[in-house]
Amino acid sequence: MTTPSTPSWQDILDLVTQLDDGSFESATVEFGDVSVRLSRSADASAPAAPAAPAPQAPQVSQPTAALVAPPAATAVAAEPAATAVLPAEPLSPGTVVTAPIIGVFYRSPTPGASPFVEPGAIVSADTTIGIIEVMKLMNPVSAGNAGILKEFLVADNAQIEFGQPLAVIIEDASS
Amino acid sequence: MTSAPVKKVPVVLVANRGEIAVRIVAAARRIGASPVLAASAADADSLAARLADRVIIIGPAQAGKSYLRPEYVAEAAVHAGADVVHAGYGFLSEQPELAELLEAENIAFAGPRPETLRAVGDKTSARRVAVAAGVPVAVATEIDDPSFAASLGDSLGYPLLIKAVHGGGGRGIRLVHNSVELADLAPQAAAEAQAAFGNGALYLERFYPAARHVEVQVFGDGEGGVQVFGDRDCSVQRRHQKLIEECPAPGLSEARRLVLHDASRALVKALRYRGAGTVEFLVDTESDDVVFLEMNARIQVEHPVTEEAFGIDLVAAQLRLALGLDPQLPDVSAVPPMVAIEVRINAEDPDNDFRPNPGLISHVDWPRGPGIRVDTHVESGYRFPPFYDSLMAKLIVRAHSRTAAVEALHSAAGDVRIDGVKTTLPLHDFVLSHPDFIRGGVSTTWFAPAWEHRNSQLTEGTK
Repeated sequence: MTTPSTPSWQDILDLVTQLDDGSFESATVEFGDVSVRLSRSADASAPAAPAAPAPQAPQVSQPTAALVAPPAATAVAAEPAATAVLPAEPLSPGTVVTAPIIGVFYRSPTPGASPFVEPGAIVSADTTIGIIEVMKLMNPVSAGNAGILKEFLVADNAQIEFGQPLAVIIEDASS
Repeated sequence: MTSAPVKKVPVVLVANRGEIAVRIVAAARRIGASPVLAASAADADSLAARLADRVIIIGPAQAGKSYLRPEYVAEAAVHAGADVVHAGYGFLSEQPELAELLEAENIAFAGPRPETLRAVGDKTSARRVAVAAGVPVAVATEIDDPSFAASLGDSLGYPLLIKAVHGGGGRGIRLVHNSVELADLAPQAAAEAQAAFGNGALYLERFYPAARHVEVQVFGDGEGGVQVFGDRDCSVQRRHQKLIEECPAPGLSEARRLVLHDASRALVKALRYRGAGTVEFLVDTESDDVVFLEMNARIQVEHPVTEEAFGIDLVAAQLRLALGLDPQLPDVSAVPPMVAIEVRINAEDPDNDFRPNPGLISHVDWPRGPGIRVDTHVESGYRFPPFYDSLMAKLIVRAHSRTAAVEALHSAAGDVRIDGVKTTLPLHDFVLSHPDFIRGGVSTTWFAPAWEHRNSQLTEGTK
């Protein structure tokens, strides 16, 4: 998938890290036909499609459209205060798993048991990554996308709201 | 070496949206509590959200996945460390499930006990409670055999409604004006009820073609103690939706008012009712009959007219009572010292069959002046969402007499400016200048034909 003119996933991560250290509110970087848009506010990431050149828009699996999303995910993780309004779920790779309901998030099936998944684990769309308890009722949360569970954005046992980012799933480059 | 225990600021979880959420936030502030809003994702940036100390998102925009889920609201109450939950009106305000979930978490519910909510929640059980408390109800008789219906009807008097005992939702109801019609329609109704509800049992109920809707504001201490805060007339209605409300109900004789207030007091006492409630009645304009309709176990949309007429804060009183404090409500006379009238301004197009008209409100100006109150969540730049009801604002005007109140309200309504969406303001201009309304005491069937007449005249005028 990676061609000389397309940046690798690591290139993007490096870019995000570099820009995150700076004082940028938002930035748009273009590598040939790939456009990467970064913003510290959650809202700006929502319209992912317009950032891609029009002829490529229908090709969802192209990195062009996909790469627009991850920087926003990082930005949200760095600023947990911005939990109320969240970006629409972007397509993989680099997807934020958001809480489907309000409740308490647990990473293990029972207290003391080992977690469903650890960061770095390969997950499929239906892999359970945690449970949300709402008034004594347990609701499993699945990854929703296949890839690598990069990190959890909330602590075990945390009270979470509807739509709150729980974890980041990135593309599994080895597959 | 005893130090006074640190007094924790009570936390009020507001489990509603729109204007009533703003109203509850204000009441929480008034009693020195900290308001936390449980909101859907669509209301994360609403006026109530900005006025609250904290916002907890309980679900997506659809009410069925947010405002209507008792377990989500109870969970939010736990997260907020709430001492009390106020659910406003609609949504979960009369759901015993929410009250029970909160009870299990030791969080107060600003409303009646769950068993009270159940007792008054369905019409059959509410009627039973009312009859037991000596509250007048519509005369009704069950029909054992449709062929004897006519003689039963003659003993009740006409007009009558034929209703299915096991029916609901207005299905299968027939209006009859005499024994011939009754004898004709009873067997049909029985067959239809059998087909629709699996049971052909019918009953006859007295029908009042020209009755007013009058309701009594009550406040119970939960131990059988009752305070009555006058009455409201809400007879200007369109398809059973109230459009204009006023306190007190105009033109009620002292005797009739006494019947309404005493019956309401008896019902509250019998239920050992806790908090604010409303007992609704039909008041016939052609006879002396007064009949119980239902009891609403919540704060009502139109509560501001009572607050303005008596100078009280019912929502703050609800919160105080739920927190175990004195509600601080005075004992008042049956008739308030002031007259207050309210119009509901809805995002609906009155010239297009009142179609909901959500969208961007580019600019809004509310009137100013003595005795004017606006309960709203709408501001310039607000995008009125399509997910919920169409109530934008309640404009309330208080004055020393009904005549002065009608005039002042008419003038204030004319000063409202709302750009971007169609509203029901033209309707209010029509009603507030109509001789029948100015005289006072119209029935619930008055508005529809009067509005029809206005529209046909407008059409004539353009020809």
